[in-house]
Amino acid sequence: MATAASAGPDHLFNLRNYFYLGAYQAAINCSDSLPSLSPEESVEKDCLVFRSYIALGSYALVINEIDDAAATPLQAVKMLALYLSSPGNKETVISSLKEWLADPAIGNNPILKLIAGTIFMHEKDYIEALKHTNAGGTMELHALNIQIFLQMNRSDYAEKQLRIMQQADEDHTLTQLANAWLDLAVGGSKIQEAYLIFQDFSEKYQTTGLILNGKAVCCMHMGNFDEAETLLLEALNKASCFSKLVIPSLVDLLP
Amino acid sequence: MLTKFETKSNRVKGLSFHSKRPWILASLHSGVIQLWDYRMGTLIDRFDEHDGPVRGVHFHKSQPLFVSGGDDYKIKVWNYKTCRCLFTLLGHLDYIRTVQFHHEHPWIVSASDDQTIRIWNWQSRTCISVLTGHNHYVMCASFHPKEDLVVSASLDQTVRVWDISALKKKTASPGDDMLRLSQMNTDLFGGVDAVVKYVLEGHDRGVNWAAFHPTLPLIVSGADDRQVKLWRMNDTKAWEVDTLRGHMNNVSCVMFHAKQDIIVSNSEDKSIRVWDATKRTGIQTFRREHDRFWILAAHPEMNLLAAGHDSGMIVFKLERERPAFAVSGDALFYTKDRFLRFYEFSSQKDTQVIPIRRPGSTSLNQSPRTLSYSPTENAVLICSDMDGGSYELYVIPKDSISRGDSVPDAKRGTGGSAVFVARNRFAVLDRSSNQVLVKNLKNEIVKKGSLQFPADAIFYAGTGNLLCRSEDRVYIFDLQQRLVIGDLQTPFVKYIIWSNDMESVALLSKHAIVIASKKLVHQCTLHETIRVKSGAWDENGVFIYTTLNHIKYCLPNGDSGIIRTLDVPIYITKVSENSIFCLDRDGKSRVIIIDATEYMFKLSLLKKRYDHVMSMIRNSQLCGEAMIAYLQQKGFPEVALHFVKDERTRFNLALESGNIHIAVASAKEIDEKDHWYRLGVEALRQGNAGIVEYAYQRTKNFERLSFLYLITGNMDKLAKMLKIAEVKNDVMGQFHNALYLGDVRERIKILENAGHLPLAYMTASAHGLEDIVVRLASELGENLPSLPDNKKPSLLIPPSPVMCGGDWPLLRVMRGIFEGGLDAAGKGVEEEEEEAADGDWGEELDMVDVNGVENGDVPAILEDGEIGEEENGEGGWDLEDLELPPELETPRASTNARSAVFVAPTPGMPVSQIWIQKSSIAGEHAAAGNFDSAMRQLKRQLGIQNFVPLKSLFLDLHAGSHSYLRAFCSAPVLSLALERGWSESNSPNVRGPPALVCNFSQLEEKLKAGYRATTAGKFTEALRLFTSILHAIPLIVVEFRREVDEVKELIIIVKEYVLGLQMELKRREMKENPVRQQELAAYFTHLNLQVAHQRLALQNAMTVCFKAKNLATAGNFARRLLESNPANENQAKTARQVLQASERNNTDVSELNYDYRNPFVVCGATYVPIYQGQKYATCPYCSSRFVPTEEGRLCAVCDLAVVGADASGLLCSPSQVR
Repeated sequence: MATAASAGPDHLFNLRNYFYLGAYQAAINCSDSLPSLSPEESVEKDCLVFRSYIALGSYALVINEIDDAAATPLQAVKMLALYLSSPGNKETVISSLKEWLADPAIGNNPILKLIAGTIFMHEKDYIEALKHTNAGGTMELHALNIQIFLQMNRSDYAEKQLRIMQQADEDHTLTQLANAWLDLAVGGSKIQEAYLIFQDFSEKYQTTGLILNGKAVCCMHMGNFDEAETLLLEALNKASCFSKLVIPSLVDLLP
Repeated sequence: MLTKFETKSNRVKGLSFHSKRPWILASLHSGVIQLWDYRMGTLIDRFDEHDGPVRGVHFHKSQPLFVSGGDDYKIKVWNYKTCRCLFTLLGHLDYIRTVQFHHEHPWIVSASDDQTIRIWNWQSRTCISVLTGHNHYVMCASFHPKEDLVVSASLDQTVRVWDISALKKKTASPGDDMLRLSQMNTDLFGGVDAVVKYVLEGHDRGVNWAAFHPTLPLIVSGADDRQVKLWRMNDTKAWEVDTLRGHMNNVSCVMFHAKQDIIVSNSEDKSIRVWDATKRTGIQTFRREHDRFWILAAHPEMNLLAAGHDSGMIVFKLERERPAFAVSGDALFYTKDRFLRFYEFSSQKDTQVIPIRRPGSTSLNQSPRTLSYSPTENAVLICSDMDGGSYELYVIPKDSISRGDSVPDAKRGTGGSAVFVARNRFAVLDRSSNQVLVKNLKNEIVKKGSLQFPADAIFYAGTGNLLCRSEDRVYIFDLQQRLVIGDLQTPFVKYIIWSNDMESVALLSKHAIVIASKKLVHQCTLHETIRVKSGAWDENGVFIYTTLNHIKYCLPNGDSGIIRTLDVPIYITKVSENSIFCLDRDGKSRVIIIDATEYMFKLSLLKKRYDHVMSMIRNSQLCGEAMIAYLQQKGFPEVALHFVKDERTRFNLALESGNIHIAVASAKEIDEKDHWYRLGVEALRQGNAGIVEYAYQRTKNFERLSFLYLITGNMDKLAKMLKIAEVKNDVMGQFHNALYLGDVRERIKILENAGHLPLAYMTASAHGLEDIVVRLASELGENLPSLPDNKKPSLLIPPSPVMCGGDWPLLRVMRGIFEGGLDAAGKGVEEEEEEAADGDWGEELDMVDVNGVENGDVPAILEDGEIGEEENGEGGWDLEDLELPPELETPRASTNARSAVFVAPTPGMPVSQIWIQKSSIAGEHAAAGNFDSAMRQLKRQLGIQNFVPLKSLFLDLHAGSHSYLRAFCSAPVLSLALERGWSESNSPNVRGPPALVCNFSQLEEKLKAGYRATTAGKFTEALRLFTSILHAIPLIVVEFRREVDEVKELIIIVKEYVLGLQMELKRREMKENPVRQQELAAYFTHLNLQVAHQRLALQNAMTVCFKAKNLATAGNFARRLLESNPANENQAKTARQVLQASERNNTDVSELNYDYRNPFVVCGATYVPIYQGQKYATCPYCSSRFVPTEEGRLCAVCDLAVVGADASGLLCSPSQVR
């Protein structure tokens, strides 16, 4: 994870950014044209690419591509794919996940912890999720923590996490995103700040369904339903796979 | 000091600026006078007639003249246009130090080592006055810019002020000069024309220079005692004010600055010093290594100075004149004096925003240099050169105009340059460590990034990116990735301007403009001979820029041109269509209207927008050789064609563009052989046989014509050619044509006639024409040629052409080049089919012709869209999660060994829970997802027990009160509570009431739609609408008490309609029961409806009764109808007819349960009248009345509540609870 201290060029920056902002296809595409990477970077790259595939719903591809010899983080990603691919897998995935987490050799891997947090969130077992993610360590884990806290309606804890992220790198995409989530959750005047954050993203990077959705949600919270509708329709056009998330009927429901 | 121009030469002793043109005269110690263009940096002329050093030189203000004086005792007056010395004034007896023209009289003042000052009339070319009194060399003498005064300085250590007003009076009558000269000579030492007014003593050594202040009664002088002295005078006396010490050697020249409150002096100590005239302290010193300074000159109008030294001269400016500004959308922020100002382009309003800090030190060029603005945070970064580069960050308060003079608190810092790189981040260049520091609005460092290249300035380059200037390159640096995204070699870039879409950037350097893409891919470079000042992009991607004296444009392909000339430099801030917004050097905003036609035309050509091109050609005066040349050069001869009237040019352009028809027309006009020939060539190239033929005919080129006919297979014409050749006696032509035609006999005949008998014989025999062979053989006798053996002769018949006669088919690429877009004929407008109101009302009455129902009262607002109710999800009630607060669990984590330290927090209270706690309104409970309590509320308040009709609304309310945010990838979607009544001043974490999908205004819309449907007779549709209103009201939430009453009113209105429409629909089902039909129609008329609907109901009832022969009842309805004054004439007519019929026969055939005299209400379920005094039961919600037997059953009207149930009443507004 990049921190403010390191000064060298960050080869995975674009890939990561695309991923965080929901431009999954772009993330996959850009992974081909990266310069030579160190082994760690390479694993991180693969993780991001496979997670992008998961986000696009191509679970089978991920399950088939990652063999048993792959590194722990990749195995964890595969587990997520298995978990999401069919409800029948849930039991087995969770039990093996717990097994892995208990293994001191690999239990501390940040990606594994991240995946564990994600899966337990799906299980609505926030306490268990936090058990693995609360220590943080990577920006992604912090961001996940924030979401868990928000899910639990504990914006005060989320704010503390955000503060940690801001100290690490205030301009990090995840920091900004998490800031927007928190702003939206607490509401009031903060909605506008969230809107500005999404606005910044849309100016700076290509607009994605995620950004448009974020903007639309802000608009809805500000009572600006017409703009929200425009944005949501644009988001619907943008990414077909995203439509699941946007709750299409919401568009019709708007007054 | 900003050096604008420098020369290398012999010692410069005299300097003079031209008042209008960018010229300066320099007189040299070598005797040469140079004329320079300091803008272009070129030597225009040199004047070399003086013998020995020339010390004084001066331009005339308005005439093409200048004067010079030298060590040869001569004063020469020159015309610089003719480059000639016009005449020489003789009289001085020693070196001449200075010469100067008077600003209005034809006078020259000169100072000389002969201890005199002379005033000359350059028109009469005589000396008109000699000013004596100095007893040493007079080093300088000059007129006062306004008054009749002369100041002089001398090595006798004095400065003298002379009054020359008497001289002015004397010269009032011209021609006196000669006379006076003799007179003057007599009183050489007691002249009265010019008298010494003051003698200023104070310098300890010889005084080298003295000068007046341009407006104030002040004099400044410099002397060999190394001091500069400031003197003041009034009408009666003059005195020393102060002394400026600092020069290390003789002060050679000193002057007041015309525009600033400063004094500039130079000295043989090789320095120029700038002094504050008020505080009398030194501000700045500029030194040269080896050159002593001798002379200073100021531009009469512009902010320019010049200084002459031992090895040349410099032209310079003390301070930058460019105001710092930043453009953001419609806003321009700029600095003027010590204020930040705001200018709105659209309204052209200019306001002062906040005062900014005045430069602390008095040194020059410390004023703001660049400005950067963040619109969302309303913050301004002002950079200046203070303390070696520093910035100040101001946040403009919301109530933007602060009246106070106090400077708001600014965050300060040092750094090469500072720019905003995001809404709330700015980057500062730290040149010493070659790092970029990213700071937040609190001026705290957020991030550091070291650059891989030496940068000396940074500019904005899109959010998060910087454009960095290195010596001869610019880079785009991504601050987050710490990567160089692009770089480009450029001359030293001074300013950059991004296009509106941030896709292109213009890099302005001193003499060049480089246009590049956002990744710094080079697009074009323009070179200018003079300085480039500013620029802006217009909406179409044309870059408009200014140089010192022009406004110019640059098209995306690098074509550029002049739009107009400028008198003074301006700084473009924005270009909008043909308005150029700019700031001038005084910091005033101006708008310049330009003629954009030329560049828009070129741009249209470039973008191939030929429709625009064509309309511009038609509508504007675009013409001239330059435009034609441009079009030809750019490959648009066909466009140029439209400009040209001259036929020859037209012809050439037409040929070039292949427009053969215009070429033909021009050729006809010109009618010259050469043009016809060229037309023929082009026509042949295009395969246009007709025109080729025409061209050949015009030039009488028969051979080519024949060949053309041959290849196009035109045998008839070929035969004609044969005849023509015969007539013309052209044997060769005849033979060719015969050969082409394959006519052997003709050929033989021709050969025979031409006397080539052997050839004729051979031809004949080869083609087996035996009779001729025999005849010719006899004629030839023994000279019979022998025919070759073994050759089988055959007739040469030309092959038939592929295309006969017609033109060669061409692919029409040129066509449509201008047609496109011109004939944008309006496509047939689709006629909207008007929805005809189907006259369901009273259609069967045959005595009237009812063509649908006219409605006079209810305005049919067609454009109002109907709000359809969405039938959402079929899932049963129990599928929806009731988001009840999860049970509070004791955290298990604390006992877990792995994360012993961390205790997971208990889940907080969801917003929906807060909503439930805060509210007792059913709609809000439903929105919160607590359907159970919502239902309980409704039951208690309105007695509602049937919730089936409300189900979809419940679900909608719940879904619509939450938004869903995809947060972390692959994690569950985050649901957020939507609150209504948001405003930016709401404080966070304070929960408002839930946003609701239905509101009162929607219901009003629905009501209108219901009215319309009723009017149109669409009863099913109308009933659906009214019922949906009735079903929505229990869940409605309004803010104010007043609205609560409206809601209650609405229930009553809608209930009546629902009941009426239900009855009407019922009536139609009962065709077999005419009595009941009549009764229902009659009851319908007693409901509380809109007047129009009431009339329709009456008409309906009248018709039904009339048809059933119940004439008395029908007559009653007709009377009531007429009483309502129907606007519809048909209605009234019918009613009158029915009334007449009923008066003739006022009886009823069948008896109805209907007594119109006795007021009644209609039972909502059984549709029988409940007359006054009878018992009834009421629906607790819609207040419909029922016969007592209905009590305990579901209300038939609203289908929600139970008739007769207890209820506390509608609660739909928080205001009811308060």
